[in-house]
Amino acid sequence: MSGGSKSTQKNLPKFYEQDLQQGMDFAQDVSAVGYTPYYGPDISAFSPMQNASFDSTNMMADAFNMPTADPANYMPEPTTFSNGIQGYSSAPLYGEAVDALAANRPGQKNYMDSFFVDPVTGQPGANQPSAQPVQYEMTAKRGK
Amino acid sequence: MAGGANPNNVTPPAGVNPFNAAAMAQGTAMGRVGQGLTATAADGMSNYTNPYETQVVEATLRDVGSQAQMGMNNLAAQAQQAKAFGGSRHGIAMGELGKSFNQQALDQAARLRQQGFTTALGASQADMATQLGAAGQLAGLGQQAFNYGKDIQNQQMVQGALQQQLSQALIDAAKGQYAGYTGAPSNALQQIISALAGAPSSAGQLAGETEKYQPGLFNFLQVAASA
Repeated sequence: MSGGSKSTQKNLPKFYEQDLQQGMDFAQDVSAVGYTPYYGPDISAFSPMQNASFDSTNMMADAFNMPTADPANYMPEPTTFSNGIQGYSSAPLYGEAVDALAANRPGQKNYMDSFFVDPVTGQPGANQPSAQPVQYEMTAKRGK
Repeated sequence: MAGGANPNNVTPPAGVNPFNAAAMAQGTAMGRVGQGLTATAADGMSNYTNPYETQVVEATLRDVGSQAQMGMNNLAAQAQQAKAFGGSRHGIAMGELGKSFNQQALDQAARLRQQGFTTALGASQADMATQLGAAGQLAGLGQQAFNYGKDIQNQQMVQGALQQQLSQALIDAAKGQYAGYTGAPSNALQQIISALAGAPSSAGQLAGETEKYQPGLFNFLQVAASA
């Protein structure tokens, strides 16, 4: 008890701490991006030849006085996309589901949205990590 | 295939598709076969009855009658020569002769009518057989037309599915590209994490050191003494 005590603590090197900090910052920024919906086609529409086949089946049934069915009554009109591809997109259904969530559980939806940037304006969400900065403490000795 | 004609290019009758043709053929064939279940050849015999049969029979009867008359005259002449005309033997001979010619006339008429009946019956039966055969052939053609239509429909389905698969592959490729774009930040982060994760193994060697010294009571006394 007469003398003092000496201890040695190992620290991460400065460059590594900086990289780590930068990585954490980047992770926080990336995590704030949120979900990015896909608005393109998901499912290809029936080809003209398939539609002809359906017509043929109806023709077959009709010739023998059997019931026929118009495929247009079952599937919606496909969307024609920029390169002429005809198909169906799940985007409208997705949007409808999100709108239903907003209508039925607005609090929960807003809370979820608060973790991410506003997808329209790009404004940071209230609860996204970068909106709650933490001061990192550099422990490495200067110069190392 | 002369002139490079397309063997698949068969123009059906206007407004008739192979399924309608098949249905019509089948309906007609079924109707005829069904009719054949109860119909007899008798129904069609009138078509083959010789409209002049009666005249033929009557002419034959007249011929027989003329011959009979001639026979009677000869018999009368013979009886006169034999001075037996009007006698009982002449009467008996005339009776027998008349009976013979009468029988001959009936036989001739029956033969002619039997011939007419047999001919009409045979023709009507042949008609029935021909019609039933045609009905069978029609049913076969109907089946053939149906199969043509069905095969084409199958081809349309198969080839249409190929086209749709191609289109779907294009869509999937676009979705993959889009996922690559939207996933780019996350992928970049993964690169950083990987780099950072590899560093700690060497951090022991690279680590800096912080020395801490906790002064004791003796140190304080030394300080106090030197003051």
